[in-house]
Parts: sequence; structure tokens; C-alpha cells
Amino acid sequence: MTKVDYLRSEHHEFLDASAEALGNRNLQAILGRLGDTLGARNKQAWAELPNSDLVRERARAIKDETLAELDKHLETLDASVRRLGGHVHWADNGEEACRAILEIIQSHGASKVVKSKSMTSEEIHLNKALEKAGIRPVETDFGEYIIQVAGQRPSHIVGPALHLSKDQVAEILSAEAGENLPSDREELAAFARRRLRSSFAEAEVGITGVNFAIAETGTIVLISNEGNARLTTSLPKVHIAVMGIEKVIPRLADLPVFLKVLARAATGQKQSVYASMITGPRRDGEIDGPEEFHLVILDNGRSRILEGPLRESLFCIRCGACLNACPIYRNIGGHAYGGVYAGPIGAVLTPLYDGLARNEHLPHASSLCGACQAACPVKIAIPEMLVKLREQLHGEPGQGGWLESLAYRTWARMLRSPWLYRAATWLATRTIGWLWRKKRWINRLPGKVGGWTKTRDFPAPAAERFRDWWQREGQQ
Amino acid sequence: MNRAAFLSRVREAAQRGRAHRVHLHEVPDGTGYVGAAGDLCEALAAEVEAVGGSAHVVNDREGARAALNDLLRQYNARSAYCWQHPVLDRLALAELLREENVETHRHDTLTAMTPAARKARILAADIGISSVDVAIAETGTLVVCSRPGQERLATLLPPVHVAIVDAHQIVPDLFDAFERLDPLSLASNIALITGPSKTGDIELQLTTGVHGPGKWHVIVIRNAQAMHVD
Repeated sequence: MTKVDYLRSEHHEFLDASAEALGNRNLQAILGRLGDTLGARNKQAWAELPNSDLVRERARAIKDETLAELDKHLETLDASVRRLGGHVHWADNGEEACRAILEIIQSHGASKVVKSKSMTSEEIHLNKALEKAGIRPVETDFGEYIIQVAGQRPSHIVGPALHLSKDQVAEILSAEAGENLPSDREELAAFARRRLRSSFAEAEVGITGVNFAIAETGTIVLISNEGNARLTTSLPKVHIAVMGIEKVIPRLADLPVFLKVLARAATGQKQSVYASMITGPRRDGEIDGPEEFHLVILDNGRSRILEGPLRESLFCIRCGACLNACPIYRNIGGHAYGGVYAGPIGAVLTPLYDGLARNEHLPHASSLCGACQAACPVKIAIPEMLVKLREQLHGEPGQGGWLESLAYRTWARMLRSPWLYRAATWLATRTIGWLWRKKRWINRLPGKVGGWTKTRDFPAPAAERFRDWWQREGQQ
Repeated sequence: MNRAAFLSRVREAAQRGRAHRVHLHEVPDGTGYVGAAGDLCEALAAEVEAVGGSAHVVNDREGARAALNDLLRQYNARSAYCWQHPVLDRLALAELLREENVETHRHDTLTAMTPAARKARILAADIGISSVDVAIAETGTLVVCSRPGQERLATLLPPVHVAIVDAHQIVPDLFDAFERLDPLSLASNIALITGPSKTGDIELQLTTGVHGPGKWHVIVIRNAQAMHVD
């Protein structure tokens, strides 16, 4: 048994948690399928969009331009929402956002709240804050509902219950149903539909995140495949949407650019099933839709990121493509990362939001292979940012040490001089290379470098240098 | 919580952040436009099928009435939640439903009820019948704008959604659909619908109908104008 339940609690034990994940056969089987199913679908969807690279470049340009004048776009958004009769709340941090949301709910004397999946609400721990005040919001995204019932944390930005097998889901929902539900996806979904329909029918307040907020029109855009976001924003009398400052886009005409890339990256669809564009509360004569609309705009450390070298991380549109592409995520899953956001983008965001020192392993949880950047619909240079975070880490006192620093300086000196390089490789092949000429792999290294061989072998240098081989064989 | 302080902090950060703007490549206008080759009705129908819906391309209003009739019987529909829309009026939808003994809820009948009675009726409806504002051939997407008579819940609550599309409502690409939207007068709710309600939340395997309609039918009327006079 471990000290911390990684499925349920956030943590800073990356190494232990990933070791546990690697030993979890059920999780390994699920993660093993990730590349085959989603990977193939994504490839096909991108192939059907000509010049997709340029479309992603356009999306990236919109994000970059928007961030350069973010304050102006937020002001425009604020004015547009208020012109439509909506209310805008500004929250410096998660606590303020939760308090604002709680006040809105309490001002209506409401207690029945439905929610549509929102990473931002996870980030501010909204459910916990509301539960403390005696309000239990019902998560209505199917995956999010499953893990809410199980008391777990989401393991993937798009598929929060991705870590669970069909049998586990059946077990979780059977306990909730008080009867034995079969391990059948359709039956389990039908149970959730019935349960959640009654929650929707009596809900007084609906809470959602925001995928995009259009400044010029005051429109918030929600993307979903199930339709729960539409129900959450159509049935209850009050709609509260919570967004980070980076979600704003300037113009209506910018939206189709993002709609063309988001679903392709996220799930390999050309379009998600539902994209809702919500422009204020219901109008005169309409008989559905919320009577009141509130937009909570959250900073929570984003402006600090905006002014620095990792500003590009604010381009993220939370599609989850980098998770699916990442060889590390595909081995350890989402819970090992410890924070709200998992995968490569989580390895950047969690240190930024939660502190670098206590998340020191995350920037190293990458082979820097670049698959994340290649998969990203806005081409965020994630590997470069991870390297920057590593630099920051090693610049901090207590990290590295004189021996490591000497080793790297010697290495650098050697690589700069052809003469030294030749001499060093000659020496290495004639000594270690010769000794290990049969085995080829070193399974134990001494001292400080022994960490490498704790979990894998180290390739021995060849017994002959390439240049010598080339001199002899390659000339013909 | 203070708007002015909040925005001034963002302003300073945005200005300092400009030192870290990313290098961008020139992107020509029209990039990302895909459109649809050939007949728009057929292209729309093919995409509707590709995303898990059922498409019925018919030649005229008579064909549309017949297709709708089949669907009402197939699903044994006893009550319908309908839009009030010129495309549906021209089909004489109200009469068709009356002949089939399908109880009909629409804006006019619902406004006369108390909110509680209204909610009970629409939650129990077997089928939702709507038209569209625009349909997109490239992706099989229906664009529906809310307004009195075009209720957002009609396309969402019932387990079956049938949309009736006139050929002239179809555009080739998502970009064309956005050209038709005026930023100054957007409806309070615009939904882009591409397929039946889906989830991949259990083992990434497709499951339909978890919240929205699990059955999604699009009847495309190829030549509505050629229909005989009233």
C-alpha cells in the first residue's frame, strides 16, 4: 500500500506514482490501446484538412496576437457580456472564483447544481469549495460522472475516466445504482442518462467552463460530444461560466479556425458533435435557456506566466493531443503527474501554477522527442519549455553540485576540440569498448552515474571507432 | 475581484510578454477552406452518415413527408417537440402529425402552459423535429439558432432528432456558415450539431445517446421549389 492514493489526491511523488502505474496491468492494457485507437483517428482527420500545418499556424497566430493585447480583449469581452445583460466577475485566484460562484448560487437560494466538465473548475477545486457549503454539484459529463461517483481525479484532459476498464466502471456505477449493472457500455451509458436526466430536470444552476470566449460578441463557446454542456446551459435558470484569461479570442471570424483544429487534435473528429455558442441569457419570447448569465474570469497565476518566457503555454486549448502522443504519458497515465493537468502540457503547467521546486521531476518526465509539439493544434514548443524549466531548476541552489558541473564542462571542452574528441574516443574504444566487446551493455555503473543502470542498461562504446571503420571499409 | 486592478496587472504582463512573442509564418487567406465537391445534397448526406447519423435525400416535399412518416412509425412516436419554421410549415407538418395521432408541442402551445407543465411535456417527448439555419456539407454539420419557435431543447432533449433541410440552406464549408452569421445580431444560442450524441468515455469505445439524441436523422429536400403550388 502506498501512503498517498494517487487516484484521489494530488501529490508530488512522481517517481513512486509512476512506478506504481507501470506495475498496474489493467492501466497498462488501457494505455496500450491509446495510440492505436486515437492515434489512427487523428492521423486520418488531419489528412482530410489540406494545409493543416498552415491552419494550425493561423490558430497559433491568433493566440499570439491576442495575448499581446490581452487586457484590451478582456475589456471588450466584459463590455459585450454586460451589454447583453450578463454579469462579469473578476477573480485573482481560485479562492476568489469559488467564493464568487458560491455567492451567485446562494443569492438564488439554490442547492441543485449541475456541471459540465471543466478543467478550470478542477484547477480551482470548485467542487470541494461548494461541498463545504453544503452544495454537491453533479458532474454530467459521463466520464466525469463516473469518477465523481468513485471519488477519483480525472486522468486525462478529454477522457477523465480513461484509466478505468469497462468492468471497473460497471462496479462503480452498480454501487451507485444499488443493483448489479452489466459490463456493457450501452447499458452503463443508459443508466447514467437516466440518472443525470433527473438531475438536469431539477437543476437550478448550471456551471460550465469555456473553450473560447469571443470578445466582440460576448459569446462563450462550449465543445462537447455528449450534449451535457448544452443541457447544462439550456435547462437551469442560471448559467455560470468560468474561464481563464487566456480563453478570449478577439473576433467571431477567429472561431472557425479553432473549430477546424480542436476536434481533429482531441478525438480525430472533423467536428465535435456539439459546439454551443452562447451569447447572453435568453431573449424576450424565448422559452428555454438561462434567465441569468454570469462569467467568472480567472487569473490564478496566468498573468505571471504571460510576462515570462513560458508565455506560449497560454496558447493551450486543452485538447489532450499531447497526452495521447507522449511516450511517457502512454506508459504512466495521468495520475502519476500529480497535478490537475497531466501529460506534456501538464509537465509545463503544474510547475508554473504549483511551484517548480516541489514538482522538480515533471520537467524531466519527457524524452524531448517532440511528439507533443508535432501533435499540438497550436504548435506549442513544449520540449523547449521543458528544457527552460530544467535550466531554471538547475540554476536553483542545492541542485547539481560541483562534480556534475565539472563533468559537463569537461564534456563541452572535449566536443569543442576535434583533437581532444579523437583522443577521447580512441581511449574509450580501446578500454571500455574493448572490455565490453562481447556483452555490449553495461548493467552497473559506479557512483553517482549508477542511477542510470538502476532501471536499464547502459550501451558500451563500440570496440572500434566509426572513423577507423570508415577508413578501412567505407572508401571503396 | 477589482476589475481595474485586475486589468492593469494583465496590461503590464501583456506588454512585458511581447518580448516573448513567437515567430510566425505567413498564412495565405482562405487557408483551411475545404468545401465539398459535386452535389451539396449528396455531400451533406455522405457526411451525415459518416458521423453516425442517417441521411434521407428526397426530391420534393412529398418525399420529405413520406420519409418523416416512416420515421414516426419506426420509432412509434406518440409525442413530438417541434420548431415553428417556414420549411416545416411548407411540409404541413402540423397536419401530418395530427393524421398520425402524434401529440405536438411547439412554441405556441407551450407558452400557454405553466413552466412546470411545460418541462414535464418536453422531457417526455419521443421525437424532436426541426429545420436548420444553415447546414455544412463538408462536415455534415447542422447550425441551429435559438429564437422563439426555434427552441434549443427541441434538438436536444428527445431521444430522436429529425432535421429537415432545404437544399438552399446548405453551404460547402464551415467558413461559409460563419460568413452568414452577423456578429452584431447573434442569436442567444447557436448550436453546431454534427452527429448523434456520443461518448468515448469507457475504454475509448464509441457509445451513443448518453445525453443528447442517440438517433439523428437528416432529411434533405433536393428541390423544394419545384413542388406544386399550394
